[in-house]
Amino acid sequence: MRGENQVFPKDPAKTYGLMELVKGTSPMVDKGPEDTVMAWPNLLILEIVVTLGTVVVLLIMSLLFNAPLREPANPGVTENPAKAAWYFLNLQELLLHMSAALAGLIIPVLVIVGLMAIPYVDRSKSDVGVWFASKKGKRIAAFSGIYTGIILIALILFDEFIRVRSIINQPEAVPGWIIPIVVIGGLCFLLYVIIRKWQPTRREVLVGFFSAFFVCYFVLILTSLFFRGYGMHLTLPWHLPPGAIPF
Amino acid sequence: MATSKRSLGSLITRNRIWESIFRQGYPSSDENRARIMFNSWFLHLHPVKVKSHTLEIGYTLGLGVISFVLFSVLVITGAWLMFFYAPSVERAYTDIQTLHNTIAFGALMRNMHRWAAHLMVLFVFLHMCRVFFTGSYKRPREFNWVVGVILWVVTLLLSFTGYLLPWDQLSFWAITVSTNIVGAFPLIGDKIRLLMLGAADTGPEALVRFYALHIAVLPLVMGALIGVHFWRIRKDGGISSPTEKNENESREVTQ
Repeated sequence: MRGENQVFPKDPAKTYGLMELVKGTSPMVDKGPEDTVMAWPNLLILEIVVTLGTVVVLLIMSLLFNAPLREPANPGVTENPAKAAWYFLNLQELLLHMSAALAGLIIPVLVIVGLMAIPYVDRSKSDVGVWFASKKGKRIAAFSGIYTGIILIALILFDEFIRVRSIINQPEAVPGWIIPIVVIGGLCFLLYVIIRKWQPTRREVLVGFFSAFFVCYFVLILTSLFFRGYGMHLTLPWHLPPGAIPF
Repeated sequence: MATSKRSLGSLITRNRIWESIFRQGYPSSDENRARIMFNSWFLHLHPVKVKSHTLEIGYTLGLGVISFVLFSVLVITGAWLMFFYAPSVERAYTDIQTLHNTIAFGALMRNMHRWAAHLMVLFVFLHMCRVFFTGSYKRPREFNWVVGVILWVVTLLLSFTGYLLPWDQLSFWAITVSTNIVGAFPLIGDKIRLLMLGAADTGPEALVRFYALHIAVLPLVMGALIGVHFWRIRKDGGISSPTEKNENESREVTQ
C-alpha cells in the first residue's frame, strides 16, 4: 500500500530456496515497497512548469503596474504618514504601542531565535509530513488564529480610541515596557492554558503558537498598510491620504 | 553504435563536440535518465529518483521553487539595472527617471525587479510557514530549518537595502523611519545607526553603503546559503514525507 511502510512477510504459498550466501543485509530488509519515481522527467517537468508560471505572472504584473517613483528625496519635507517598507510595517505598528527597543529589537530577536529553536524543542518524528500535525492540531491552529486575530484587533482599537497612555503615562516604563510585556505574556499564557485542554503533544502546542504568530504577522502589516493615515492614526482605506500606501 | 540513418538529429549529436558536452544519449531510458543527473552540473543537485510524495503539489505548493525562481529573476534584472544606475545623490533619482522614460525595456526591467522583490519576501515567508505546518523541520532537517530562517532574514535585508536606491521620498523616509527605530535602542542604538548610515542622517554615505550591501555583500551571502540549503535537502533525504516516521532513527540518511 502506498505511503505505508510495510514489511514483507513470509508467504506460506511460496517455496524458498537457498541461492547464495552473502554477508550483510539487503537494502530492503525492514523496509516497505519502494515508492519512488525517476526525477527526469517527473520532477523536472514540474519545476519547469512552476518556473514558467512564476515568470509569466511576474511579466504580466510588470506590464500592468509601474514600480513607484515619488518626488526626489528631500530631507526638508517630511512625508506624512512616513511608512517603512510593507514587510517592516508590523514592527512599525508595534512601535505605536510600546517602547522602540521592545518593538524594534527585543521582539524581532525573540521571534528569530524562537523560530530557530523550534526543531530543538519538538524532537518527535511521529507526525512528520502531516499538515498541522493531526485533526486536533488543525482545531488548535484554527482556534489559536481566531483567538489572536480578535484580541489583536481589539487591542489596536483600544490603544487608538481609549489609549493606554491617557490612563497612565508616567513613569515611561509603565506604558512603554510593563503594560506591553504583561499583556503579551498574559495572552500567551492564557492561550497555552486553553490549548492544554486538548491534551496536545508538544508539536500541537507549537502549531497553536505558530498559528498565532502567523496571524499577528499579517494583521499588524495589513493594519499599518491599509488603515493608518495622517500621523499614523487609524482611518478607513478609502480615507487614506494620497501616497499613504507605499507601493 | 553504427547507424545507417544520416538524419539531421544524428548529424548534430554524433560528433566529438556534442559528445564532449553531453556524455549520455537522450534520457529516454532509465539508464540515461540516471546518467544525465550526475553528468550535468545544472541537474546534479537532484537525486536520480525522488519519492512520489515529493511531486504532490498540495504538499509543497511549489513555494521553495517559486522563491528560488524569483531570486534568479532578481539577479538577472538587478545586474541589468546596474548598467544604468550610479549610487550618488546627484544621479540616483534621475538615473531611475531615465531608465523609466528613455531606455528600451527600462520600465519593464525595473518593474520586474521591484515586484519580484516584494513577491520573494512574501513567498519565502509562506515557504517557511509550509515547512513549519507540515513538520518538515524535524530530524534530520533541524539545521536546514535554521539555515532557512537565516535566508528569510537575509531576504528582508536585501529588500530593505534595495528600497533606498531610487532616492525618492518613499525610499528616503522609509529608511529614515527604520533607522530611527534602531537609533532608539538603549546604549547601542546610536552606534548601530551610525554604522548603517555612515553619518548622522540618511545621505550620500548611506546610499553608497546600502548599494554595496545590496549588489555585492548580501547576494553573495544569499547565494552561498541557498547552496547550503539545497545541498542539505539532498543530504537529509529529500523532501519530508509521512513515511519517514517509521524509519530507523539511527540510520544515516543519504540519497
